[in-house]
Amino acid sequence: MKFVAIIRQVPDGEAKLKEEGGRIDLSGATMILDQMDEYAVEEIIQLKEKHGGEAVIVAFGPERTKEAIRTALAMGADRAVFVKHEGDADPITEARALAQVLKEEAPTVVFTGGQQADWDSYALGPAVAEALGWPSVAWTTQFELLDETKAKAKHDLDEGAQVVEVALPAVFTTQQGLNEPRYPTLPGIMKAKKKEIKEIPAEELGVRGAKVEILSQEIVQIERKQKILDGTKEPEKAAEELVKLLHEEAKVI
Amino acid sequence: MVLVFIDHDGKKPKKGGLEAITRARELAGALGVPVAGLVVGSGIGEVAEEAKKYVDTLYVVDAPEFADYTAEKWTAAAHTAAQKTGAKAVVAPASRTGRTWTARLAARMDAGLLEDVLELEPSAEAVVAKRYTFLNRVLEKQKAAYPVVISIKPNTAPLAEPAGEGQVEALEVALGELEQKVQVLEKIQEEKKRVSLTEAPVVVTGGRGMGSAEAFKLVEELADLLGGAVGATRAVVDAGWRPYAEQVGQTGKTVQPNLYIALGVSGAVQHQAGMNKSKVVVAVNKDPDAPIFKETDYGIVGDVHQVLPAMIEAVKKLKD
Repeated sequence: MKFVAIIRQVPDGEAKLKEEGGRIDLSGATMILDQMDEYAVEEIIQLKEKHGGEAVIVAFGPERTKEAIRTALAMGADRAVFVKHEGDADPITEARALAQVLKEEAPTVVFTGGQQADWDSYALGPAVAEALGWPSVAWTTQFELLDETKAKAKHDLDEGAQVVEVALPAVFTTQQGLNEPRYPTLPGIMKAKKKEIKEIPAEELGVRGAKVEILSQEIVQIERKQKILDGTKEPEKAAEELVKLLHEEAKVI
Repeated sequence: MVLVFIDHDGKKPKKGGLEAITRARELAGALGVPVAGLVVGSGIGEVAEEAKKYVDTLYVVDAPEFADYTAEKWTAAAHTAAQKTGAKAVVAPASRTGRTWTARLAARMDAGLLEDVLELEPSAEAVVAKRYTFLNRVLEKQKAAYPVVISIKPNTAPLAEPAGEGQVEALEVALGELEQKVQVLEKIQEEKKRVSLTEAPVVVTGGRGMGSAEAFKLVEELADLLGGAVGATRAVVDAGWRPYAEQVGQTGKTVQPNLYIALGVSGAVQHQAGMNKSKVVVAVNKDPDAPIFKETDYGIVGDVHQVLPAMIEAVKKLKD
């Protein structure tokens, strides 16, 4: 069996963002493997460990994406297919390109992050599934491979959750709680350097610009008052003062 | 036509549905076309009676196969309605399920997808949308030509008012092989709270600094006093102190109350993504360098176990 994780490289959430001419400039930002995609990588490695077969990484993005691919390979994935694309993209455009790669790879199960931390999008997983005519399950918290043709999964809805049985192949998006992603080990990092990354230019898959055009980006910072009281010595007094401020100044209680 | 998917609770349209209708009307106005609505479910006659008041034509998919949500079935229903109406735009609430099936629909229609949209500037040729990206830290303007699929961020659009009596039409949706591939085995209901977390005017969130599940009794007490809901950070949910339904943050819920009180919360960016649009933010933390203080209007540096009981007393005194 073959298990695929679709990954993206995104800026570290803790990293300070820069804005340049109405666009976000990521040149100085620390870039990481999207944390929601880490669950996807962990899940396919566990599936491979349990059922045998191959754990394959599929990625889309600019050259620097290779760093995130190496991280996923260092965690224990076997090889990677990298669709290289410079410039803007959107989830639907990316999904169309990746669907062609996945058709060729013919995996049993595909996992990807429930949300992309740069696009704040939920769309990639379901859009990939749609492009392939496969079913999709979003925000998966429990996954069990029943056999080569079906899986059982629990996933979050708007309120509550659902347990479903899904005919494979299918695409699952991750949610916190699915697993505990492992850290790459030093031997893992060494081994990853020798693992294959097959590169495909996005143009070869028919990617010509995005469906959605980004007109502008602006860092939003709500100005906070930052009135910080010292409550280390007299907590009662600080608490009273705080409640007074909330009542009289902020008028929220 | 503009097609709007109207979310419901089995009886009447949900808030998200009424917000989506408001945006659909804006689009229809710019295009000079009528608004068609879509409701999907099983045994939803009551919903249809209510929903028809908001649209020119209401399409009703009411069949036992649609009792349980799956992305594939909902996509099929919306796609059938979009084809029937020749919709140039499909609008839906950006609920978790809404954001999933709209992605499939956009791919199926070869349409642009504008997700979790705050505001729309529609013209006859294209739609410009404002939305947050980079974990809610960046406001982005995006543009897509028609056809377009749009999901509306909860709590950002005014609720639509009824506007008459629309025509009601039953819609048959043919289910193929794909729609049979996901079978729902079990539904798990979320515990119903007095005030829902996403709609509460006040949210009181406890973090790892609370130290134990028992300590949340005081968090609950403060939330009750203020007529608010209890929130939790990821660390707290992972520790099993509070249910996942209360989690605020990237993988939990996004809230924007009038007052957000963070107790013993360090303020990781994943948490901030779920609360940084709150009107007034209050934080109590013993670490003066905790990142949460950068996002705080009023804060106390101190031991939450001393400060919280004192806050409860002060609020009680204020109320007397």
